[in-house]
Formats: sequence, structure tokens, C-alpha cells
Amino acid sequence: MDILIQQLFNGLTIGSVYSLVALGLTLVYGILHIPNFAHGALYMMGGYMTFTMMTKFGFHYWLAILIAVVAVGLLGVLMERFVFHPLRNAPPLHDKIAAIGILLFLESFAQLVWGGDYLTMPTPYNQVVSIFGLTFTMQRLLIIIAAIVIMIALNLFLKKTFTGATIIAMSQNREGANLVGINTTKVAMLTFLISGGLAALASSLASPINLVFPGMGHLVILKAFVIIILGGMGSIPGAILGGYILGFSESLGATYISNDYKDIIAFILLVLILTIKPTGLFVKGGHT
Amino acid sequence: MLRLQDVSIKYGEFTAISNVNIEVKSGEIIVLLGANGAGKSTSFRAISGLSKPHQGDILFQGRSILKLSADKIVQAGIVQCSEGRNLFSAMSVQENLQMGAYIHRRKKQQIKQSMEHVYELFPILHEKRHDAAGSLSGGQQQMLAIGRALMSKPKLMMLDEPSVGLAPLIVEQMFAVIQQINQEGMTILLAEQNANAALKIASKGYVFESGSIVTEGTREQLLANDRIRKAYIGA
Repeated sequence: MDILIQQLFNGLTIGSVYSLVALGLTLVYGILHIPNFAHGALYMMGGYMTFTMMTKFGFHYWLAILIAVVAVGLLGVLMERFVFHPLRNAPPLHDKIAAIGILLFLESFAQLVWGGDYLTMPTPYNQVVSIFGLTFTMQRLLIIIAAIVIMIALNLFLKKTFTGATIIAMSQNREGANLVGINTTKVAMLTFLISGGLAALASSLASPINLVFPGMGHLVILKAFVIIILGGMGSIPGAILGGYILGFSESLGATYISNDYKDIIAFILLVLILTIKPTGLFVKGGHT
Repeated sequence: MLRLQDVSIKYGEFTAISNVNIEVKSGEIIVLLGANGAGKSTSFRAISGLSKPHQGDILFQGRSILKLSADKIVQAGIVQCSEGRNLFSAMSVQENLQMGAYIHRRKKQQIKQSMEHVYELFPILHEKRHDAAGSLSGGQQQMLAIGRALMSKPKLMMLDEPSVGLAPLIVEQMFAVIQQINQEGMTILLAEQNANAALKIASKGYVFESGSIVTEGTREQLLANDRIRKAYIGA
């Protein structure tokens, strides 16, 4: 029983990270209508930014995260400006190729600047807490709380503010958004800013319990794709719930099936969902 | 109010419209008649700033709007209900209307009033205000598209084939509402294949054939024109 609860808690931790990454991916999918393969590279850049801010400049963990979120968000905006915006009228294949290009570029860039070593990110939250016979580190608790706070804030922003609603409107009908007077260029930039920020936050939170290295985004981004297919492409609740579903499946699978097969669970889920309900679990009906 | 001067648009090598001249005066209902692909929607896209002409000029209230982006043109006071309706299908009716008032987003009171006005024009939308736009029937979606356009409080409203795919009774209601909106002071530019219904409310019309205007005239002139009657009215 203790093991089960402990594993559920772990699932909540990994699920939180997955959800944050998948959210950014799903938001940008609404704008580009292609999966942004470079999202994993933004995740990786976020990890390195926070790491550098902490170790080189001696900033506090939270300040370092803030800088990384802003910097990677701006990197996302640059990607939109210089790569995806000029390609907006090109066939979708061009976007995909460009996204992979950005991914390779950023990875080589990280390799060049920081080298290929595995780095450990320090954290001020190493304390071990014990509640009801469960032991966990503050960092893990922090991941869950921070992720949930950000998701609630993002949801309020998208649902309650006009600016947020423009993102949803544009993802549902780009021309319709244009016709009601929304500046679609600005909305696209804003979406990339948020998406990059979420990726940086996710990696900054997760890095202290994982490691920082140039390929750290690979597995995360593949799983994020599984999540948004699971939840329905472009669906925001789908990305959140999908993230947690995958988090729980992985941590329970690691315990009760085999730790070696942990990473395969995502892809088994992918095969299952594509066989049974290819539109995803949380897609609302209704077409114009 | 709105004038198109010698406007031509090319899609690649294909000339979609050539040398189109249209004049719309304040308070009028003007109709563009023509078959599918004759150039009506392309003209609308040009006015809305979605396609840029390679020749000619578009003047709105005496000022060229050629260089303005689509969102700036909405701010200038021209709004379009496009043919595909372009609703936000997963958003509710009410959210769609709210987005329609995007350019007035800081004027809460005005948004409320406009919304009440739309619900007065189309009571069914009030009934369905919490339903997703994509779940509405074709006629209701068209009403929502018109309502959403009204929310921006435009000076000129363009309606691209509002009658397409609708039952005759609904078409009649739709045109009655369009006439009512016009009587409240809105200038309307209508694109239609249904000349019969359109000429009942329009004061003037332009007839498009393969990208050019072949005939123009007042309602009476067009109704008296045998060729127009044969081609578009069927009588």
C-alpha cells in the first residue's frame, strides 16, 4: 500500500512535468497546425539557462528560473519571427523540416557552449520530508505545486481574458480571428512566448531530479507528442490530463511491471489510442 | 463610402478579378451578383485585406486602405461575414459574440448592449448562448456570423452569400434582418447568387462574370434586364 501511494506521488511529479511540456506543444499546434519538433530543444535550453544562471552567476533558484523562462520564451518568439512566420503560406511539410532544423541547431549549440557532459543542477530544496510514512524531497513537492499553480494561472488567462481568448480563437479559426480584428501576428508571437516559457519552467523544475545534457529533450518531447495525441491535438485539458495519465502509467508500470520498460509505456499507450480512438480522448465534437 | 478603383487580383498566374470598379454610398444596400468563382468573394477578400490587389486602389471614407492589415481594416469599420462563416466552432455562441467585439474589448458596457441587440435580432441565439457554435444548424450559424460581425459596430458590413445552403423560409428571415440592420443605419455590401431575394432589398447591383463586372445598375434596371432575369432569377 505504501509503495502504491509513493508511486502515485511519483506519477504526479513526472505527470506535472509532462503536462507543462505538452501544454506548450499543444498551444503552438493550434497556431502552426503542425507539431513543433523544436519544442524539446526549448526544454533543453531552459535547463541549461537555469543551470548557468545558478552556477555561473550565483543567482537564486527562482530568479534563475525566471530568467530562463523569459529567455527561452523570447527564443520561441525569435523562432516564430524568423522561421515559422515567413513559412506561414508554405506547405506544412516546410514547417516540419524547419522545426527539425531548429532542433538540430539548438542541440549543436548547447553542445558547443556547454559541452556534452551530464550536469547536475543544484537546488535549495533538497530536504527530505516525511508525511504519513511517505518520504519525498521538497523538490518533488515543489514540481507538483508549481505546475498546478501555473496551469491554473494559464487556464484563467485563456478563459477569462480577451488576450487569452484570442489564442483559442486563432487556433479554432485563423481567418475568423483575422476577420474579427485580431492581429494574428501578435497572437502567434504571444503563443510562442508562452510555449517557450512553459518548456523552460518544466525543465528547470525537473532538472534537479534528472540531469542536464544536450539530449535531455528527446524523450520528453516524444512523450509530449504521445500526450497530445492521447488528449487530442490542440486540446488544453487533453494535454494536462494526458500528462498525468502518462505520469501515473509510467510510475506504476515501473514498479509493478519493470523499471526497464518504463519508457516504453508511453508508446504502448500511443499504439492503443491510435487503434481505439485516434482523435484523442478529450476532443469536443462540432464542426463548422 | 467605399470605392474600388480598377482593382485586379492574381493568384499566381491566374487572374481572379480584373479592373473591378465598385462604389458603395453610405446607408445603401449594394449587391454583387454572379455564379460561383465569378469573383465576388475575391473582391470581398481584397476589401478585408486578406488578399492584396496587384493593381488598383480601395478607398474607404476617402482614404486608401490598401496598405492596412486585415485587423486594421476591421478597426477602420469594415467587417465581413465570409462565406465559410469562419466561426470559432468549439467556443460557445456567447464567446463567439464576445470575440466579435474584440476591437472594443475595453468597452464592457458597449459589448453588453451590442450583445443584447444581437439577441433581439436573433432570439434563437440567446436560447443557445451556451451551446458550441459548431453544434448549431446552418441557419443559426449564419445568424451567429452576422451577430458576431455586428458586435464590432462596423460602418460597412459585407455579407458573402448569407443565403447559401439555407431553407427558403430561413433565407426570407435572414434578408428581413439584413434589411432591418440597414434601416438602423448600417451600410451593407452583399454578395449573392440568389438574385431574387437580394434585389428585393438592394438598391443597386453589380453583376460579375468570370472576374469582371459585366453589368451594373439600380434594382429596377437589373430587374428589367432580360439577360439578368434569365441568368439569375430564372423568370
